[in-house]
Amino acid sequence: MSAPRPRASLPQSARLLFATATGARLGGERTLVLWLHFLLPPALAGLVVAATFASLPLAALLAMAALIMAACSARALIRRLSETEDARSSLNAQLIQSQKLAAIGELSAGIAHEINNPLAIIAQETEWASHLLSEAEKSNEADFAEVRDSLREIRSQVDRCKNITHKLLDFARKREPVLQDVDVARLVDDMARLVDKEASYKNVSLTRKLPEDLPTLRTDAPLLRQVVLNLMTNALQAVDRGGAITVTAEADDDSLTIHVADNGPGIAPENMDKIFNPFFTTKPPGQGTGLGLSLCHNLVSGMHGQISVASQPGQGATFTVRLPRKLGGGQA
Amino acid sequence: MEIRILLVDDEADFVETMAKRFRIRKITVAPAYSGVEALKLMDEQDFDVVILDVRMPGMDGLEVLRQIRLKRPLTEVIMLTGHASLDAGMQGMNLGAYDYVLKPADFDELLDKVRRAAERKALNVRAQAKG
Ligand SMILES: Nc1ncnc2c1ncn2[C@@H]1O[C@H](COP(=O)(O)OP(=O)(O)OP(=O)(O)O)[C@@H](O)[C@H]1O
Ligand SMILES: [Mg+2]
Repeated sequence: MSAPRPRASLPQSARLLFATATGARLGGERTLVLWLHFLLPPALAGLVVAATFASLPLAALLAMAALIMAACSARALIRRLSETEDARSSLNAQLIQSQKLAAIGELSAGIAHEINNPLAIIAQETEWASHLLSEAEKSNEADFAEVRDSLREIRSQVDRCKNITHKLLDFARKREPVLQDVDVARLVDDMARLVDKEASYKNVSLTRKLPEDLPTLRTDAPLLRQVVLNLMTNALQAVDRGGAITVTAEADDDSLTIHVADNGPGIAPENMDKIFNPFFTTKPPGQGTGLGLSLCHNLVSGMHGQISVASQPGQGATFTVRLPRKLGGGQA
Repeated sequence: MEIRILLVDDEADFVETMAKRFRIRKITVAPAYSGVEALKLMDEQDFDVVILDVRMPGMDGLEVLRQIRLKRPLTEVIMLTGHASLDAGMQGMNLGAYDYVLKPADFDELLDKVRRAAERKALNVRAQAKG
């Protein structure tokens, strides 16, 4: 049995009403089909009732027709619904894929840029060194000091490249958090001790506000150390001489929160939603790769937590890491 | 739980005293006086925790750490450093060190860190056995 063919199109207002009522956005012909799906079975049912009083066999026949119509329209509706569902999920998959591709594109551009600068210097130094060597051959009087300078520069640029590739490899490494009972106050203080010396060179104060009764947390200690160290390093790099950094931790029933606050220049509003992107940096080339915060973001998400930032330009920045105290199912 | 430690530092006195203190607590310690020696020992034996000096002549601690991560990814490494270089600390932690500790380290604190690092290794070994 096939659905009845529509003969006329519905008035605009009815279509609108239908669209509002069902939330569907369908073209004219399909709307009519749907209307018929809905209206025909009850109409037939009405006829059945009427016919019952006139002739029973006719009523039975009509009832049969009504049932079959209803079954067909239900089947058509189900099919249509699952088609829409399929289309939607394939659209979603496409969207995710294209977002991924965009991210990869951005990442490759970042890598290319980061590696190109040292490569250019290496190329230039190599040419200069070979020029010096050929001069030396001609005059039999070598200036090896300059050649050695060139070689040293090349070496340092190669190290710079190596640093970038190591960071990238580290970034790409998948870390499955290993959960242990972690004394977060201790952990934060340990990392702060690493920063202390460099902070005092810069005449920067590094204050800890870590409550004595801070509960332990089931989390991954080395990953959390990485996050805390990255945030404190960023803060130290951001503040001027005489600046102040404050590290705070607190806990409620649900989560444990760590704040790293500084009174540096803060973050420009237009950069606020970029700072967690890989390779976003405002530091001069060679000083920042722009991977620190995106790594932190990855690590914190892996620990089922959130990282966020608040900043008023000119008044410093506060980074907040919130970690759940109770991990939901599936956790070892 | 029995813990096997490899202690790597070019200062022989430091290594010997430290090894003695661990042994009093019934923890076996193998000494190594350079990165190369440490890596050779690790080819032959499986250690739970490596305590690794950052600044050593020849192969420096960070390079040794890098090689250890490749050679024995499950072995945990605690970096020990006399001078607090923030950059080296970041590199060490980013390379997957378990912890980064300043010298002179309080022995009991270090012992506690060693135990936790060993626990982490055991957890990782178990997770890997499960697949
Ligand atoms: N505490 C802060 N105050 C002001 N700006 C900050 C702060 N922390 C981060 N930023 C901004 O966010 C950017 C990205 O930080 P991120 O740690 O990802 O990279 P980076 O520090 O530039 O380089 P890397 O961490 O790889 O050495 C920084 O370049 C800086 O502009
Ligand atoms: Mg950074």
